[in-house]
Amino acid sequence: MSATETGLAAADALLQERGVWRNLEAYVGGVAFAGSAAAFAFGDGTLRLIDLADRQEWRTIEAHDGAALSLAGGPFFVSGGDDGKLQRIAADGTLTNVASFGSKWVEHVAITAAGGKPLIAAAVGKAVHLFDASGEKLKELAHPSTVTGVVFDAKGKRVCASHYNGSSLWFVGAKTDTPRVMEWKGSHIGIVVSPDGDCVVTAMQENALHGWRLSDSQHMRMSGYPAKTRAMGFTRNGKWLATSGAESVVVWPFFGGGPMGKAPTELAGGDEGVLCTMLACHPQQEMVAAGFSDGLVVLADIGTSRVLPVAAPGRGSVSALGWNADGSHLAFGTEDGFAAVIDLSKKS
Amino acid sequence: MADTPQTAPAPAGQVPVTVLTGYLGAGKTTLLNRILSENHGRKYAVVVNEFGELGIDNDLVLDTDEEVFEMNNGCICCTVRGDLIRIVGGLMKRRGTFDGIIIETTGLANPAPVAQTFFVDEDVRAKTRLDAIVTVVDAKHLPQRLEDSHEAADQIAFADVIVLNKTDLVTPEELEEVESRIRAINRFAKIHRTTRASLPIGEVLDQGAFDLNRILAERPDFLADDSHEHNDDVRSVSFELEQPIDPEKFNAWISGLLAMQGQDLLRTKGILAYKNDDRRFAFQAVHMIADGDFIGPWREGEPRVSRLVFIGRNLNRPLLRRGFEACVAS
Repeated sequence: MSATETGLAAADALLQERGVWRNLEAYVGGVAFAGSAAAFAFGDGTLRLIDLADRQEWRTIEAHDGAALSLAGGPFFVSGGDDGKLQRIAADGTLTNVASFGSKWVEHVAITAAGGKPLIAAAVGKAVHLFDASGEKLKELAHPSTVTGVVFDAKGKRVCASHYNGSSLWFVGAKTDTPRVMEWKGSHIGIVVSPDGDCVVTAMQENALHGWRLSDSQHMRMSGYPAKTRAMGFTRNGKWLATSGAESVVVWPFFGGGPMGKAPTELAGGDEGVLCTMLACHPQQEMVAAGFSDGLVVLADIGTSRVLPVAAPGRGSVSALGWNADGSHLAFGTEDGFAAVIDLSKKS
Repeated sequence: MADTPQTAPAPAGQVPVTVLTGYLGAGKTTLLNRILSENHGRKYAVVVNEFGELGIDNDLVLDTDEEVFEMNNGCICCTVRGDLIRIVGGLMKRRGTFDGIIIETTGLANPAPVAQTFFVDEDVRAKTRLDAIVTVVDAKHLPQRLEDSHEAADQIAFADVIVLNKTDLVTPEELEEVESRIRAINRFAKIHRTTRASLPIGEVLDQGAFDLNRILAERPDFLADDSHEHNDDVRSVSFELEQPIDPEKFNAWISGLLAMQGQDLLRTKGILAYKNDDRRFAFQAVHMIADGDFIGPWREGEPRVSRLVFIGRNLNRPLLRRGFEACVAS
């Protein structure tokens, strides 16, 4: 065995020893967890549900007539499709239609259970629609242009949407719906909120991030990416914002005055021309899982910059990646239809 | 009528995109219905703005609001269609289920943001290729449209293929007149005279008009320029040089020109013979956004003539000629 082959085998060890996977030939558009189930959303409109206790059976749910564009998990799953449908899927696979939007795509979905009662948000054209867990519509929030990302804050009190020329922040429980509009000229294409709810960060068309600190209306600008940032997330403690779109995982410090005037930490940088396409911060530790355009998946520890490979390159550009709530399982999928769930819990 | 498509499949990976422009009532929807109903065994994803006019049941008809925005890249005329970037991203998730994308713009649309989207956005560039801009014009009403607005001239100027429709509503003299007005604006597009937008779809699809390998492959007629136009009229000018070009001089000149006059230059195309290089250099630009690369070698015995064409407003022919001539290698 040559040195390269040894390296590749080592890079694939976690997947081989602790993972289950399928090659399903359709674009993996999303991955999420609900209770003890993992789900993948595919470009052929199906979802696959896997019970984490018995990972051998992959149940097929015919969720959309077209492509499944978005998927979120919480107490249950919701998925949005280019068939205009918003679907709710229980962890046992029971499918319920929440709403149909005709020829409009349901491009982004989010769930929160933080406020006690679960809420569903779906971005459809210029509107964000809010539903309760039973599927009853609570609100329709209008924006000046198409919504390109939607997220709840950690407490489930606010729902935030990115769009052209900024972002809009809405209180979900407000009697009258007036957003706090954060303005910055340009096309904003994705959004995250810090765990304390004080910072809102958007990805932009021009390969940069823009942010606003709500407490003092300070703007932040983070640039230098060779590609668009498609995935970003804060660590649980809010100290770090990990972002995709570069040849490494770019992690910005949100403490000690940062990110203004601070350089980011770069993790898992490797081959030239291989971009980080997807990532997800571990729900508890200061660690990030990242997927790359060559198919490589790694875990990177932010404090020590140590990198542990999960899956070797070669199965398609990583297009979806996520952790379950306690961080014991990681799931990822690729543009070529490779989907895997890896059990990273301590073995007794 | 035997409308046998003379088409070849797109190279794997990059989905061809056809842009359909033209004023309301010119016959865009008729042409679109014709393309979709043709028995060519291919599936198209169709992006429209006025949903419900299509007579064809196609599950890949997408209705969108044109969302044009400026890029924050210091280039003042660099506008793109944000909705198209999203739609292409979404369509790529169901790849394999369709063979091409057709984008119908609204009647008053300037084609520049659509075209620029396919040059500027890296994700779109990686997954798709702009095949051609097809403009449908109404033979009877075009003269009036050209008086009314800039957009009618812009749509003709940007076109690779012009479907001169409703020819049955005008006299042969009027038809000649309207065709010569089109030619004055864009001397390089292919013009097809039609009634009810009837033409073989092979004349509309798979044109490769933005393929650097096919730029100026058909030698346009280099007629003497008709210069009795107002400066703000859109027109075409072209130049030829037999002496080899210095690449550094050409780059400096064309970059400066596009930066200074990019707003007026709707489309620019060129094939260049660089000194001491056996390869042809192909070049194109939409406003300020340029793209160029070496394509195959000059053929044996083929005259190594550099050719450059501009379609735009306020074109100062002598100044452009002197600028181009100054690029000759010493």
